[in-house]
Order: sequence, then C-alpha cells, then structure tokens
Amino acid sequence: MRTLADPTRRAVYERIVGADEITVAELTRGSGVTQGAVSQHLKSLKQAGLVAERPEGRNVYYRAQPAGLAPLVDWMSHYGVFWRERFADLRTLLKEIDP
Amino acid sequence: MNDAALEPVTQDIVVDEVFPHSPETIWKTLTDGELMARWIMPPSGFEPVVGKRFTFSTMPAGEWDGVIHCQVLEVVPNQRFVYAWKGGHEDNVGYGSRLETVVTWTLSKAGEGTRLRLVHSGFVLPKNDTAYQNMSEGWSKVMHNLDAVAAEQEASSTRH
Repeated sequence: MRTLADPTRRAVYERIVGADEITVAELTRGSGVTQGAVSQHLKSLKQAGLVAERPEGRNVYYRAQPAGLAPLVDWMSHYGVFWRERFADLRTLLKEIDP
Repeated sequence: MNDAALEPVTQDIVVDEVFPHSPETIWKTLTDGELMARWIMPPSGFEPVVGKRFTFSTMPAGEWDGVIHCQVLEVVPNQRFVYAWKGGHEDNVGYGSRLETVVTWTLSKAGEGTRLRLVHSGFVLPKNDTAYQNMSEGWSKVMHNLDAVAAEQEASSTRH
C-alpha cells in the first residue's frame, strides 16, 4: 500500500477517516503543508480508491472509502492462512523426527 | 502534527501453539535449512547467523518475481529467532504488493512441551476503527475460506 507510505498523506487520510466528511480547506488547516500539497495527496488517495469525493456547490467534501483497504486484507490474510498451515506441517514433521 | 502522529501503524499476525516436543528439537526445525524446507519452504543461501541473507521463492505476481528476501536479525539458541521478510512490488494490489515485514519466533517451556509463538509484524495499515472493523470482517471471511493463492502456495511447497 504505497499510497499510505507517505507520512503526510497518511495523516491526511487519517483525518478524513476521523471526520464524517471534510473539505480541502479544513484538511489544510493545521496540516503544516499547503492546500496544493493536500490536493495532491487527495488525488493519490482517490486514485487508490481510499477516498471518495462529493461536490456540493462550491465545496468538495471528502470521505473515506474503507473498501479501498481490501488489498491489505487480502495480503495479510494470505499470510494468516499460510502460517497456520505451516504450523500444521510443523506438527506433522515433529511427529516424524521426534516420535 | 507531531511526530507520533506520523508513525506508521502496523498490524501483526500471531500464531501461538504448544507442541509436545523439546525447545531444542523445535529450534532445529526453525534453523536447519533442510528441515525448514520440509515445513516452510526451501530456503536459498540460509544459515542461522546474524546478518546472513537468504531467500524463499513463492508464486510471482505482476512485476514481482515471487522472491522473498530475508535477513537473519537475531539468534538466541532455543529461545528466539528473528528474520526480515521482504517482497512484493509497489504496482501490485493484494497478493504480491510491497511487503517489509519481520518474522519473530519465540520458544518457551510449556509443561512437558514447548510453546512456539510466531509474530509476523509490519503490515502497514491506516490507524482507524473503520478500517480495522473492515479488516477484521474481511479477515474472518477469508480465514474461513482458504483462498486459491494459499492453495497454490500449498501445492508448490515441498511435501514429504
């Protein structure tokens, strides 16, 4: 999940998650970076499917899309399954070498 | 934003089981290349020496050749064995995406046997409840139906 490797972008994402809906201006406040930079991060987050936008009048509201995290579930659960199977194999191997 | 807020949030996989064998016997299965091959995967260039780099070959995905790059980080005989576990590629989503993790094995006496604890740590996640909720829902779903990837992995690992 390279999209979230950047600490500023991660912080932006976490603020979106923490809010129900939030605008670029609100996200920029207290972020320590420019509104342009925040917009860039939002673009990446949108491309990664982590946030969705809703235009309303002159504002655009952003909210988190938890479904965008499915890839992480996939990779992690792969290893969850993998290691449990390895433990079962280890149990069998130990019975063989140390009856 | 202070630095603490910028720390990446990570999630671990933990498997913890008791085996009716001595720590010494289990240690051998963890740190002997030939035995590792019989229950994890055949390692390449493995030696249980701090700093030693070795690899595992798994199923490729997209730009990733399927090679897991490991490096021994800690060796405490019969107690603790730690190695880095890195692989994947930035362009992949899900299986095969970028992975920079650490595998820690801890052995401790448990009655007549040994408790073996695996912690596979460093899966980077955003820090929030919604995400975790979705993670754990997805998690339990996937845990209940072994996915095809795991099955293929199973088929490709050495059997005796």
